[in-house]
Amino acid sequence: MRVDPSYVSNLVGSLDQAQSNEQQLTAELSSGVSITSLSQNPVASGENVLLLNQIQQDDSFTQSSNLVTGQLQVADSTLGSVVSELTSAISLATSANNGTMNSSDVQSVSNQISGILDEVQSLANTSYQGQFLFGGGQTSTTPFTTSTATSPAVTTYNGDDDINYLGTPNGQKIQLNVPGSQIFLGAGSNSVFAALNSLVADYSSGTVNTAQAVSDTEALGTAMNYVSQQRVTIDNSITQVTTASEAVTSDEAQSTTAQSNLMQADVAQVSTQLSLAETQQTALEDVIAQLNSTSNSLFSKLPA
Amino acid sequence: MGTISSAFSLISGALNADQAALSITANNVANANTPGYTQEVPNWQQNDPLTINGVSYGNGVTETGAKSLRDSVLEERLDQQQQLASASSARLTALDGVQALFTPDSGSSSSEAGDIGNDITSFFSSFSQLEAQPTDNALRQGVLSSATTLAGDVSNAADSLNTQRAGLDQEAAGVTSQVNSLTSAISQLNLQIQSTSPNADAGTLEDQRDEDVSQLSQLIGINQITTENNGLSITTTSGQLLVSEGSNFQLTTGAVGGVTDFFLGGSDITSQLAGGGGQLGGYLTARDEDIPNALASLDQLAYNISTNVNTLNNSGTDLDGNSGSVANPLYIFNQPTTVAGSAANMSVIMTDPNQIAAAGAGAGTGDNSNATAIATLASTSSAGLNNQTPTDYYSSFVSKLGATVSGVQAENTAENASVTQLQTQNNALSSVNLNDEASALSTLQTSYQAASQVFSMLNTIMAAALNLGDQTAVS
Repeated sequence: MRVDPSYVSNLVGSLDQAQSNEQQLTAELSSGVSITSLSQNPVASGENVLLLNQIQQDDSFTQSSNLVTGQLQVADSTLGSVVSELTSAISLATSANNGTMNSSDVQSVSNQISGILDEVQSLANTSYQGQFLFGGGQTSTTPFTTSTATSPAVTTYNGDDDINYLGTPNGQKIQLNVPGSQIFLGAGSNSVFAALNSLVADYSSGTVNTAQAVSDTEALGTAMNYVSQQRVTIDNSITQVTTASEAVTSDEAQSTTAQSNLMQADVAQVSTQLSLAETQQTALEDVIAQLNSTSNSLFSKLPA
Repeated sequence: MGTISSAFSLISGALNADQAALSITANNVANANTPGYTQEVPNWQQNDPLTINGVSYGNGVTETGAKSLRDSVLEERLDQQQQLASASSARLTALDGVQALFTPDSGSSSSEAGDIGNDITSFFSSFSQLEAQPTDNALRQGVLSSATTLAGDVSNAADSLNTQRAGLDQEAAGVTSQVNSLTSAISQLNLQIQSTSPNADAGTLEDQRDEDVSQLSQLIGINQITTENNGLSITTTSGQLLVSEGSNFQLTTGAVGGVTDFFLGGSDITSQLAGGGGQLGGYLTARDEDIPNALASLDQLAYNISTNVNTLNNSGTDLDGNSGSVANPLYIFNQPTTVAGSAANMSVIMTDPNQIAAAGAGAGTGDNSNATAIATLASTSSAGLNNQTPTDYYSSFVSKLGATVSGVQAENTAENASVTQLQTQNNALSSVNLNDEASALSTLQTSYQAASQVFSMLNTIMAAALNLGDQTAVS
């Protein structure tokens, strides 16, 4: 049977193949990445995009949650201060109404409550990084202003009812703010400012209308409880952010592991393959050298 | 009855035949490395016997020329396989260039630049972060810078694809002149072969023609039709005549719709050539199918993101309390008018971060509902993206592209293996084997020596006959 006399050139083709194989394996070893082009593993390449997307979203949420946690904590502690201010206002109002105080003492209580009113109003106008916390969506307008043109004075809300939410990577929505009107100007007897303004007016003349004062003090108590209730919303949000960011962190860890498994080169395996490829190359080179040597041609055996 | 002189003539004929055979062997050795050369063997022919008085005598040998060892069926199969292999190889080279633009991100600590998948996520994540503090200037800057990165990477990828497409277009056009010179050479050879050797193998002329056909097979897809008098007609795979025996038809090019189209006798055969095989087929498939497909996907993605984000941003309220109007739209991206070209033209036209409308329509500037709405686009499926989210769409785009490249790779490997196999078969038959030649040389040498020996002995016998036994007069 006749054979292809140019089999050496076919062997050179195999040698080229072995060398390109080694090159690929060396590249994998040095970069640590097993998939360096889409065609090596199309499915993994697509999966990789999704996993990286997940990791990045998780990472981004972790940063967002740090930002909002600060803001929510300031809101929470502000409402805490409001409640303690209101507690002292109630005790002042109650003491002024027990019939033991003279008119100037009552007036001084009125002044003190007026001071508390100012304090509460300034707390309600708290800002975080230059943005008012309790103005709804109107974060650049001072939310509460008080007009003393009438008696009792009237505190008005300049913000709106806008509520911001933070979306989590798994689609949950976390409430980021409670509009000031809902906290401080609740409907009926739930309005903190209405109750405080009435009490200031009740005691400002020095003479006390006991029934009115008792009813206004009770109203302030109701309003204070209402503030506490609103505070619960903020507290819940803080808990939600913490929980969500823990979940996200663990999800990120999982995604990162999955992504590494998908893309990282298995060093032991690649090294073995490289060593095999090197052996193959040496063998091929030896064979080619043998076949190419002139003594392998019949011509060399002919008499000169 | 045979005579001494007839023995003389017989043995000198043998010497001539041996010389002719030696020259064929020498020619084989000389052409051992000539591309397209087919090994030749001497054609020995026993002379007709001489019958004298009813007794028949052998009349020696004649060497009637060389015979090429050729299997035209095998050669045609090799050519056909070569067309497929060249097509997939040209297409693979082009696709390798395409997939290099979308190298998978390893996800190591520093993200690779130019990864569109990451850019999409970063862009929408920047809006998620803006949700946390919608008035924060740094976060707003972050939105614009991630938008710039996204638009830059998308338009770069699209530009590179267009450049690659233009490169392929030029290479394809360059193939035309080679095809034309080969077809013209084949038609010339046809004429020569038909006039010199209408009924038998034309030897070296046929070698040349086969070599030209084999080169032509690497360039375009063809069919071969053997005609009378040893002629050859060639058509493209889809049947358009390129060579008809002694005449050839030139392939011409012309610009149609921004790319080069190919014409034969006035009709546009570009699409037939694309599916036909050969280098030209591979280039055209990549130029008219693979790259446009990739571009269309990027265009779709860019169009979708640009228009959706622009529409939402335009309808919201920016940090200065403004909403977009027809005269002053709040567009982040260059608003595309058509899907085609969206990717190449994607850019960020917004310069003032305050114009990012984080707040919903009519809401205070501290509102974040519009930022939420834009961030939600990341997880919203849209009809324009095959009912997928932008990231899913990109993910399936890279998977699809990878699968195409890997498919063509497998195809090319298989076709090359088959070419090698056919080549080996053909070489085994037709290429010069130096060992065979050495052995032939040795045999011919021996037979030449033997014939010489016979000649010299006949000479002695003749002298003896002329001298009638006296050995001195004639030697």
